[in-house]
Amino acid sequence: MAYEVVEGIKDQQFTAEQYVDSIIKRIEDVDSKIRSFITVDTEGALSSAKIIDRKIKEKEEIGSLAGVTIGIKDNISTKGIRTTCASKILEGYVPSYDATVITKLKQNGAIILGKLNLDEFGMGSTTEYSSFHSTHNPWNLDYVPGGSSGGSSAAVAAGECTVSLGSDTGGSIRCPASFCSVVGLKPTYGKVSRYGLISYANSLEQIGPICKSVKDAAIIMNIISGKDMMDNTSMNSTPIGIHSKLGKLNIAIIKELINGSDHAVTRTVYSASEKFRDIGYSCDEVSIKNVDYALPSYYTLASAEACSNLARYDNLRYGYDFPIEEYKWDAYFNNVRKNFGQEVKRRILIGSYVLSSGYYGKYYLKAKMLRSLLKSELLKLFKKYDLLIGPTMPILPFKIGEKIEDPFKMYLVDINTVLANLAGIPAISIPVGFSNGLPIGLQIMAAPFQEQKLIDASLALEDTIDIQRGPNTI
Amino acid sequence: MNLVMIGLEIHAQITALKSKLFCSCYCNYRDLRPNTNICEICSGLPGTLPLINKKAIEYATMTSVALGCKVPDKIMFYRKNYFYPDLPKNFQITQYNVYGLSSIGADGLFELDDSKKIRITRVQLEEDPGRIVYSDEGMNVRNSALVDYNRAGAALIEIVTEPDFNDPKEVRLFLNKLTLTLEHIGVCDTLLEGSVRCDVNVSMKGGNKVEIKNINSFKEVEKAINYEVTRQTNMYNRNLKIENETRHWDDRKKITFKARSKEEEHDYRYFPEPDIPVIVLGNNFVSNLRGYMPELPNERFTRYLSKYKLTEHTSNILINDKKLADFFESCVKIYFSPVEIANVLITDLKSFIDNNSESTDYLNNMKVTPEHIAELVKLIEGNKISRITAKDILIKIAESGVSPAEILNSTNSFKIDDEKTLKDTIDKIFDSEPSAVNDARNNPEAINFLLGKVMKFTKGRADPKIAADLIEGKLRKSEK
Amino acid sequence: MISIEELKYLAEISKINLTEDEIDKFPSQLNKTIEYIDILENLDSDESIALDLYEINFDELRNDIVKKSDGQPIIKNLTEEGFLRGPKMK
Repeated sequence: MAYEVVEGIKDQQFTAEQYVDSIIKRIEDVDSKIRSFITVDTEGALSSAKIIDRKIKEKEEIGSLAGVTIGIKDNISTKGIRTTCASKILEGYVPSYDATVITKLKQNGAIILGKLNLDEFGMGSTTEYSSFHSTHNPWNLDYVPGGSSGGSSAAVAAGECTVSLGSDTGGSIRCPASFCSVVGLKPTYGKVSRYGLISYANSLEQIGPICKSVKDAAIIMNIISGKDMMDNTSMNSTPIGIHSKLGKLNIAIIKELINGSDHAVTRTVYSASEKFRDIGYSCDEVSIKNVDYALPSYYTLASAEACSNLARYDNLRYGYDFPIEEYKWDAYFNNVRKNFGQEVKRRILIGSYVLSSGYYGKYYLKAKMLRSLLKSELLKLFKKYDLLIGPTMPILPFKIGEKIEDPFKMYLVDINTVLANLAGIPAISIPVGFSNGLPIGLQIMAAPFQEQKLIDASLALEDTIDIQRGPNTI
Repeated sequence: MNLVMIGLEIHAQITALKSKLFCSCYCNYRDLRPNTNICEICSGLPGTLPLINKKAIEYATMTSVALGCKVPDKIMFYRKNYFYPDLPKNFQITQYNVYGLSSIGADGLFELDDSKKIRITRVQLEEDPGRIVYSDEGMNVRNSALVDYNRAGAALIEIVTEPDFNDPKEVRLFLNKLTLTLEHIGVCDTLLEGSVRCDVNVSMKGGNKVEIKNINSFKEVEKAINYEVTRQTNMYNRNLKIENETRHWDDRKKITFKARSKEEEHDYRYFPEPDIPVIVLGNNFVSNLRGYMPELPNERFTRYLSKYKLTEHTSNILINDKKLADFFESCVKIYFSPVEIANVLITDLKSFIDNNSESTDYLNNMKVTPEHIAELVKLIEGNKISRITAKDILIKIAESGVSPAEILNSTNSFKIDDEKTLKDTIDKIFDSEPSAVNDARNNPEAINFLLGKVMKFTKGRADPKIAADLIEGKLRKSEK
Repeated sequence: MISIEELKYLAEISKINLTEDEIDKFPSQLNKTIEYIDILENLDSDESIALDLYEINFDELRNDIVKKSDGQPIIKNLTEEGFLRGPKMK
């Protein structure tokens, strides 16, 4: 756990360098099988560790995250460290600036360990769409770790870093957190600055922590949150308290989400809700009217924004090696962009389709309308209930290669998670059980800026359900 | 004949800003080494977000107000998606009113002259792209394009009119009045290279619209319109169909030609810019702005007539040169004699300026200050110097920057108004011009000749009225 | 539904070359998605709903101050004079 690492280093039980060494050794041991990482910055990490150790010796201030090794999803800009979005198009791209979240982490003494694998540009639910390699679920290497932040979740689950950062556009933090039996939190839209997050769908996405414990998630959240003058969509909010302070909460299970789920998932989630009752929370069932329109709206809006956000990749200012001599400019652009992966191409094409002349009212406008309707419906429910819960994923993790031939089937697994992105509300996935050795996660959602309630309930559940934090062998 | 309908689309850079529209880079990109005036945001690096410049919205609002437009309580930005090497993000952040009013101004009216007003369709804010330069040297002829992003992200105001113009002369008048307005509200220094551009659309008898782009200066606008009107008239007379199309103006051949590339026929896939939330201006935004916004030219004109009692002619000359008008008011602030000050500026100073000004900043570079003018006018009104002397002194000040008092002292240019000195001079003249004196006894008009001699002798310093009286007196005396 | 012509048109305006395999597979794959999002037609239009969820006040916007960037954002493909070399225009 992050807080254990910081305490250990402060108490001089071990040095930062020793800790980082152990992490790097762990990566060397297991990453050839799990393949979470795209880039490991061993040199940078060790040098940061040495600085911390020197500061401790000289009794200087070290940050509240001193020594904590953080893996960063490879769509978050890190100055001087290659940032690829798991795409051939950015194979050679090294950012000249740090994302705001990176600056904040560094200011608090965290050690940026390396860049973690993802579905290309964040588009996918299994990390199989990475154009470099797939990542494997540490609990069973034949299975997908979820996506798009698959590398981030697998690395944490396998102990390859203390904590990690992911990004969540339609479930990309919560899905892999659920599949890897770790904690993943998507903040309220605007709580964390997006400056430096390489955009897939700007109105839907947020950066968030993926950790082994709820407490770690809260600690990281407090560091990375805050209004940022480099991001006009970011807002100020109050820090999250680490200890449960809110007493008994009112919860409701969303019927539509649990009804569409696999039996093993449903059973586990119901049993978790029983645990809530045991500790005194009231637990109801509710229905959401517009749930059927949620996923179509999500894909409409996300694809539309994506086709525009990805237009800048023409290889002129940054990118990869592709000589300009042979082509006229428009043929050059077309050929450079041929190297997007198939899923990325599909979403760009759908995006162009829904935005093209004459279709705006049919798809895009309707999708926006649904967002408003959904948000107001959820806000109404949140007047009565503190939290809404359900399974994070409707299915258990599946085998690598199982769904890849049918991209549409792949879309349907997002069905539970997109609600929070559309409405801009915070949501967490916490591990609540296993079935045949495959992890199951519970999703908890709260009203905007009510992350405290998420943390409270998650801490309470964490106390009562003893979930194994990482696989014994890999 | 209302056969021709012309509409305009003008882009004016907000040169008054310090930074660009969406980032903190310096806004004046001219004369800088390529690609040095850029940052992560305006070069479109992944992960960067646009940060709109508050002052740009103020200037755009002033422009909307000056053009009689409605300004909404809330504004939005949209993305216009198309690919081009000078567009760092391959979309332009702009405004768009098709799905609802979102731009900074719409439905305006601008008075062209007493009989005609032009309808302003909309005023919007948008960003400039970078520049593409073609390499013309040696091996690189046409082998590569050279791109400079220094200009990318500079703030533009786009002004679109309805096709209310029926004659290129009206267009010229409008453009002159518009640039004057922009200068007066301080939004755009239209003399800066590339700061204003104008595209036109021309249609005959309400037929298909032809857009003409790539017109590089306002002088060329009239020529382009005339050419296009002729071309369309010819086609019309030969029963040929005029298509909706985009043409480019070739300013060497002086023709329009159909734009070959398909870049104009895009599906721009407009949608709201997700990184910029809806901007709430608030109810009092426009009224507050009007409070501190600079005066519009016609407002200033009216004020000059009523407050300063200047003639329309004089006011017009001042208003048409904002820097001169500002200078005028600085003088008046020091010494309230507006008519005389205006006189000196327009008659004496302006001719000096017209002969000598090379840069747009002549008033700053010139060494005449408002204090000098005030001093000069005081001297004239106090009868200490004549108007002719004043003009000479003004030129000397303009060249040297030395004050009027110093010049007068060093050149002994004060007016001669004491009778004794004048009488001495007149006596000398009378002695040297006996035949003229005889003429003057019989013909009063000939007195002017003698007076002229006195003025010449005193190098213009003699007070003409006193001298004339003394001359008459002497003539009468000698008659007796 | 998307025909091959429409697919090629979309690919052109998105500036993406498709492989033969993709031209073959994409129409049916994309059509599945389009059919799925067609359901949005059944959502009744409601003029009273605010479509834009996020607002910002004029006062919170960036002031007009110049800040020189400390990084060099573009280093790839620069000529001696500092221009970015791009592919030819014609």
